[in-house]
Amino acid sequence: MSFQIPIGPQHPALKEPIGVRVTVDGEIIREADLRLGYNHRGVEKLAEQKTWTQNIYLMERICGICSHSHATCYVQGVEKLMEIEPPKRGLYIRILVSELERVHSHLLWLGVAGHEAGFDSFFMYVWRDREIVMDILETISGNRVHYAINAIGGVRRDLDELQIKHILDSLEVLRQRSTYYQKLGTTEPSFVARLAGVGYLSREDAIELCAVGPTLRASGVPMDVRKDDPYAVYDEVPFEVCTADSCDVLGRTVVRIKELLQSYNIIEFLLKNLPTGPISVRAPRRAKPNEVISRYEAPRGENIHYIKSNGSDKPERLKVRAPTLANYAATIKMLKNGFIADVPLIFAAIDPCICCAERSVAIVDARTAQERIVTMSSLRELSLKTAKHQTRKREAEWPL
Amino acid sequence: MKLGVFIPELLRHLFKKPATVDYPFQKLTVPPEFRGSPYLRPELCIACRACERDCPAEAIEITVTNEAEKKFNMVIHNDRCIHCAQCVDSCPTDAMQMDNLFEISDYDRHNMKKRWDFVRAVVKPKAETKS
Repeated sequence: MSFQIPIGPQHPALKEPIGVRVTVDGEIIREADLRLGYNHRGVEKLAEQKTWTQNIYLMERICGICSHSHATCYVQGVEKLMEIEPPKRGLYIRILVSELERVHSHLLWLGVAGHEAGFDSFFMYVWRDREIVMDILETISGNRVHYAINAIGGVRRDLDELQIKHILDSLEVLRQRSTYYQKLGTTEPSFVARLAGVGYLSREDAIELCAVGPTLRASGVPMDVRKDDPYAVYDEVPFEVCTADSCDVLGRTVVRIKELLQSYNIIEFLLKNLPTGPISVRAPRRAKPNEVISRYEAPRGENIHYIKSNGSDKPERLKVRAPTLANYAATIKMLKNGFIADVPLIFAAIDPCICCAERSVAIVDARTAQERIVTMSSLRELSLKTAKHQTRKREAEWPL
Repeated sequence: MKLGVFIPELLRHLFKKPATVDYPFQKLTVPPEFRGSPYLRPELCIACRACERDCPAEAIEITVTNEAEKKFNMVIHNDRCIHCAQCVDSCPTDAMQMDNLFEISDYDRHNMKKRWDFVRAVVKPKAETKS
């Protein structure tokens, strides 16, 4: 006999609202169904009403952890549309911040993995060490979370000798700590026993379900936008694509720790080879009618922005495909035939950012389960028809 | 693989100082490039409205109070401000500046409005910034 258990949209195991409906047979999950749309904010529609400059800050606020990823992906696309080439030093600083962001995101994930596995001292130590990279970001950009370092045509803040020295010194500490965590993450018996074999995703499934980022690389597929389709200055920077063959949560942990060590090398290379010159060029206020796709390797995977301009100072369409959305299909595959107790761990292993991925709403018929496209006016009629027989809550007050 | 590989690290931390600070009594300093709240230096403002146009949160409002005397009125809605400092970048005369205060919360959002009434500066922007 099978039961359906709803996990979410509000659940202590989830950090953000998402509905997972699992069909269980005893303790084993046989079927999983994701329900999205609890965190939709209409960012894409809002982007159509703001100018190119204003949209940098809107894109930055799609996500807190990977704020630089979305802003950089957008800015790269807009630079292609406006046909401007940012100066070398600007690109170096931009990539430097993006690598620092990868370090802070992976350290954060490592802590969360420790927490979900029940290893809370690991979680606290990792997060304490994450403060080092947060401090670096704060000295470079002025703020800890929304760096706002991007401008169309370059970056907004320059680096001086003192900051470079500070970053290099802090990097030594981080490298030492990460090597220790690598040792710990792969040798601590209870931690390894909790992670190994959980959330299995075979190499073929990972490719078929279009998984991205560390989830894909942990299944043994060396795919990284930085290597496959180098943007900015990644073609000059030496680094390796890290993979693991265990296809489980342990593999995803190992890939992320390896990527941390690679990121330290990249940061060191960028700082030692920082070219001199201007950091930005002047950008026009308008872009010619055109369309562009921008790809970026965010800490969680490949991030895609599609931008269409119509000659005005505002985008006509801005579509964001966040890495979490690409990983949902793989997550369902991972959840199947696993235990209920592994749901938070498997979910955390893709490093989900629900609000990144909440982009559009699909109209699904509850009876026939068929999707259809409706116009705004018919949607309005539908809502009026549904709400006609309901009594109005006259005493209800708007919270403000 | 052996048990208890984490214990030496745990014991070492018994004798370490705490990583956090006792916040309301002890404060960390903010970095020099910290983006606090924007403020206006009315003596430099040429009322070009670049900040109003580029503000992503529509937190800046400039209205003409007297066309003949070139009197302007500027309101910065700090409750809407997202502290991105785009107004500072957009300003051609350095009239917009950022302070470094971070304890700016209030019980009422209307208290967070900042207001300036000023006469438009007629000096050339380049000459004014040098002095």
